[in-house]
Amino acid sequence: MEPSVRRLESDAEVPDEAFEDEIIDLDFHVNPLEDELLEYVEDDRAYDKLTTEFGATPVMGKWDAAYGIKEGQEGLFTQGRAKYAEDVQEACESIAVDEPIVNAGINNLNHQHHPVLKNAVAQAANDYMLDHFADEGIYTSMMVPKWDPDYAVEEIERMADENNIVGAYSWFDPKVPWGNEQFDPVFEALVEHDLPLLLHGSLAYWPQHSYIGDDMLTWTEVLGFDWPIHAMVNVVNMIMRGVFDKYPDLDVVIQEGGHWWVPFLRYRMDEFYEMHPEDIQITPRKMDSGERYLERAPSEYLRDNIYLCTQPFALPRNAREAESLLDLSMADDMFIYSSDWPHQTLDPPTWFYTSRAFDDHTKEQILSGNAKEILDI
Amino acid sequence: MVDRDNFTKVAEVGDIPEGEGEGFDVDGIEVAVFNTGDDYYAINNRCSHQRAPLCKAGDEKINAEDTWTGERGGLNAEACTVSCPWHLWEWDLETGEHEASGQRIGTFDCVVDDDDILVRI
Ligand code: FES
Repeated sequence: MEPSVRRLESDAEVPDEAFEDEIIDLDFHVNPLEDELLEYVEDDRAYDKLTTEFGATPVMGKWDAAYGIKEGQEGLFTQGRAKYAEDVQEACESIAVDEPIVNAGINNLNHQHHPVLKNAVAQAANDYMLDHFADEGIYTSMMVPKWDPDYAVEEIERMADENNIVGAYSWFDPKVPWGNEQFDPVFEALVEHDLPLLLHGSLAYWPQHSYIGDDMLTWTEVLGFDWPIHAMVNVVNMIMRGVFDKYPDLDVVIQEGGHWWVPFLRYRMDEFYEMHPEDIQITPRKMDSGERYLERAPSEYLRDNIYLCTQPFALPRNAREAESLLDLSMADDMFIYSSDWPHQTLDPPTWFYTSRAFDDHTKEQILSGNAKEILDI
Repeated sequence: MVDRDNFTKVAEVGDIPEGEGEGFDVDGIEVAVFNTGDDYYAINNRCSHQRAPLCKAGDEKINAEDTWTGERGGLNAEACTVSCPWHLWEWDLETGEHEASGQRIGTFDCVVDDDDILVRI
């Protein structure tokens, strides 16, 4: 019998079943060209300075993709560069993503030291995203300038009611963790507008200019483990400092901060807290409220208020082990699929169709259920 | 002299431009065939890392003009390797090996006979 030969012409890059499921991608980066972005800066004085050679993001991170990836900084654009809505739509078609939640990235904006200039870039990024994405029907997470909580609130008030703004994008880092009370007005505004806070790793606070940072010599350490440590510290800080007792409706999503650390956190937090709960009453929010303890066990806030993006997933190959780990990690309640398009660390949803670790419910929760619970889409 | 009984024709010379690859489904097996200019190489189309289709290596990126390398992974004819379009793992087209992980994917004999590109599955 003649063998059958067929040229592979489909654009699809992931298994066919992925196209039958609803897939929401909570970390999809857009990369505007700098001059097009800066056109949106409203203040002429800031615009003049930002468009000199100094630029919008003048300081490079010590650790960046140029160190770890053969193609250098191009690792940030391994798949391409989305500038407009149609670029995002084209990219999503091949990886079966139905609803990408886009952000303007600009993860090195934290490096810019000048408070006026960095706020001007944040304003421009939000207006660029509004024009080119939200108004074009793409769900968008607005940028929240973490360095200036007053301005952050102003931006949230300005953007939150625009169509298709479904989240607030900012960064986690080890210097000022999000449990700090200075962010209460931001939390208040987010809860009022029903926007989840999406916190992404940032280039500005990698272990740079620090003892441990300078002793990390490999990309595996820096990219693979530094962000997760910062993510854990931020999550524990928010829980123990009573953020979620004060704002029980606040949802926080950690992007690219790891997720397999959930079992460690949930058991250790509870055990430590149960052994030494007395210092909770002298944390500032509890001092204000006069409460002595947290209202619930720490792990319950983890399950209810914290969500974790899955990329980079690093799923164990053995399906039974993977299934147990998903279970211990409360994946049904906490995990949300993300691709990290277009970076070299891309995670298309192939995992969900090639591993037997997922039952239908877990798969649905990760691919869309948990995201829909916190996003107004 | 090629024993054509053992081979399957997938394409003709000229169908796969130099420096590029094409994917084929041969009796349910996905094969990517690359043209280095000197030779044709056939390798399992699915990268063992996360199963990206290797035949897409070298495809133009979205807004390639605003990126620096312009293509997603691609063929390195001199080194006789192809780098995966998703995470850039480099696969040796002769041995099917990814050196850093030690993982190996299938390769297939690939010859040209009478302007036909033949693959032995
Ligand atoms: S799928 Fe090929 S390198 Fe990851």
